[in-house]
Amino acid sequence: MLEIKDLKVSVEGKQILKGLNLTVNKGEVHAIMGPNGSGKSTLASVIAGKEDYTVDGGSITFNGKDMLELSADERAKEGMFLAFQYPVEIPGVSTINFLKTAIAEIRQYRGLPPMEAKDFLKTMREKQKLVEIEANLTGRSVNEGFSGGEKKRNEIFQMAMLEPSMAILDETDSGLDIDALRIVATGVNKLRTKDNAFVVITHYQRLLEYIVPDFVHVLYKGRIVKSGTRELALELEGKGYDWIKKEFSEIEA
Amino acid sequence: MELATAKTNSTRRVPTQAEIDKNTTILNKWLGEAETRLGSANPFAKDTQLVAEEHFAHVGLPDRKAEDYKYTHIRTYLQEDYTAKAFAANILPSEIESLLNDDFISIVVVNGKYVTEYSRLNKLPQQVTVQSLYKALQQGNEVAIKNFNRALHKSKNPLAMLNTALAGDGIFINVPETFLCPVPIHIVNICTGDTKALHNPRSLVYLHENAELTLIESYHSIKQTEKNFTNSVTEFYIEDNASLENYILQDEDALSQRNDVRQFIVNRDSRLNSVIISLDGGMVRNDPTVLIEGENSEAHLNGLFIVKENGHIDNHTMVEHRVPNCFSNELYKGVISDNAEGVFNGKILVYRDAQKTNAYQSNKNILLGDKAVINTKPQLEIYADDVRCTHGTSTGMLNEEALFYMRSRGLNEKLAKNILLQAFAKEVSNTIKNEAFRAFIEQKIEENIQ
Ligand SMILES: Nc1ncnc2c1ncn2[C@@H]1O[C@H](COP(=O)(O)OP(=O)(O)OP(=O)(O)O)[C@@H](O)[C@H]1O
Ligand SMILES: [Mg+2]
Repeated sequence: MLEIKDLKVSVEGKQILKGLNLTVNKGEVHAIMGPNGSGKSTLASVIAGKEDYTVDGGSITFNGKDMLELSADERAKEGMFLAFQYPVEIPGVSTINFLKTAIAEIRQYRGLPPMEAKDFLKTMREKQKLVEIEANLTGRSVNEGFSGGEKKRNEIFQMAMLEPSMAILDETDSGLDIDALRIVATGVNKLRTKDNAFVVITHYQRLLEYIVPDFVHVLYKGRIVKSGTRELALELEGKGYDWIKKEFSEIEA
Repeated sequence: MELATAKTNSTRRVPTQAEIDKNTTILNKWLGEAETRLGSANPFAKDTQLVAEEHFAHVGLPDRKAEDYKYTHIRTYLQEDYTAKAFAANILPSEIESLLNDDFISIVVVNGKYVTEYSRLNKLPQQVTVQSLYKALQQGNEVAIKNFNRALHKSKNPLAMLNTALAGDGIFINVPETFLCPVPIHIVNICTGDTKALHNPRSLVYLHENAELTLIESYHSIKQTEKNFTNSVTEFYIEDNASLENYILQDEDALSQRNDVRQFIVNRDSRLNSVIISLDGGMVRNDPTVLIEGENSEAHLNGLFIVKENGHIDNHTMVEHRVPNCFSNELYKGVISDNAEGVFNGKILVYRDAQKTNAYQSNKNILLGDKAVINTKPQLEIYADDVRCTHGTSTGMLNEEALFYMRSRGLNEKLAKNILLQAFAKEVSNTIKNEAFRAFIEQKIEENIQ
């Protein structure tokens, strides 16, 4: 479904991703862990189509399409979704209207007829329930004045509404209280199907107890330096990153 | 801060005789062209016009050194060859049909003149007077006679003086005591013509004690093939415990140049809400002045200006707190693109006696493109010590983070930009209380942002 090959990305002349490879098949959940500043959010942003980054080499293919040729909105229309590490506030634009517009655009791109107003409302209610987000939040301007946790929950709500085939969750767990974490994770699990896929970026093994990954990768200094199963996350929780760093510097040397 | 009462204008240099002669020559040319003036309707008005002629001869049109016109050089827009002669307008009812709203009382004004045949007064309550100011003065209407130029007689505004000297007609509205006008009055102003014309419409709106009125004014161009300059003045008197909602849409074409002076006298326990939406026009200069003269009053000044291409919109606002315990709040927002230029120069003046004043001012602008320009100059002049006054201004591009966020959810760049701009504009359009007009304005804004 998603195939990233030898991806090299820089920003303002500084190389951040240094030849990254990752393959995600449908039905899979991948977790990406790694120390601060290793390039996780950069990877997520580049996949979503942020133009501040320069792709110096490599490729990103999504369902056979060259993602690097597509604009950010086209990637979303192709079924890609990014839950932001730092969701943006958009004063004056209500979440409802924002989602209505997004859904209309996505459906039009896919050649589907517009969604009926009553179907939209029905879906809204269902998905609100799914992530247990209060209706008054979705009536307000997107993320404006939301608490950190509310913003994260709103990301998952939007994901549920847009039904992407692939979602990247960038530290959606940070800032969530214990109950919210469980709610969000349960929501994600309910949205899992054999046809979609998730990439979950996290620092904590705790989230992976709820959203059980098929693979765990360690991103360090712009490369995936280690991949394994969920046991790797447990190992990292216990031992930290020092051993990875050491192993890596040995390889580099 | 030793001033007892504040002086609003820096002292002007005494003009030389040569300058007075030159100003007089221009004025005399225009006076000669203007056939009927308000003075011929009434001797008091005539005296007022003579005084204004004298004053204008001394000040003339503002030049490049005039601080109040720093960013709008009037003389590049209004030149001697513009004629003050009124000429017959050639507008068909079908051409204005779409501008009239059947839910309002519609007053049609073409090139500053009230056209009764096109107006629709069937919803006008008999208590409310709406007529030509000329007629009101001619018929000896006390309110019109007593108040003509009263709000401006100390004003140093040179264009207001020019208007007072030249004005031939305009609209007179009188809402009697305790009457709450249930239907908005909508003045539909149309500019038209193939002559470089100078229009000087003059209007007067009077709300007596406890009265209420929603006055909508919209400005349009129809079949306009040559530049013109409209130099309009409207005086508003809001008596004790009265309330005025005044909404303006400026939607003229690039050949239109407009200097809009509006002077509001706000009395005790009263309320003013002024909303000015400027969407187009070659040059627009908005010059609202609010004089708060009675305690416990509130004044709201809201403005939105969307300037494109080679447009120029200058908002020059003044709020004078002359008495204690009043509130004023001002919000002006601009979207400037292409080679356009926007100006915000807002002043709050608090007199020494105006204790417990709450006065707020905010100006926010979005620049689209490298060539777009905004000049913003907030001014606070406070002579009282127990007041709460703040002002703030911000100018920036569209928020890139927000744009990416929206695009990542499937909105293309253009759509995302439009939505952000509409949200930006909504803060101002939301201050329009009349739902029908607000919806109309939001539709207009949407079209303009495309
Ligand atoms: N726009 C930018 N300009 C300059 N440097 C940037 C920019 N974006 C990212 N970087 C740098 O790239 C590196 C990787 O950042 P990134 O946000 O991808 O890290 P991360 O792995 O997500 O970290 P964290 O775990 O703290 O979220 C950092 O050193 C960061 O400072
Ligand atoms: Mg990050």
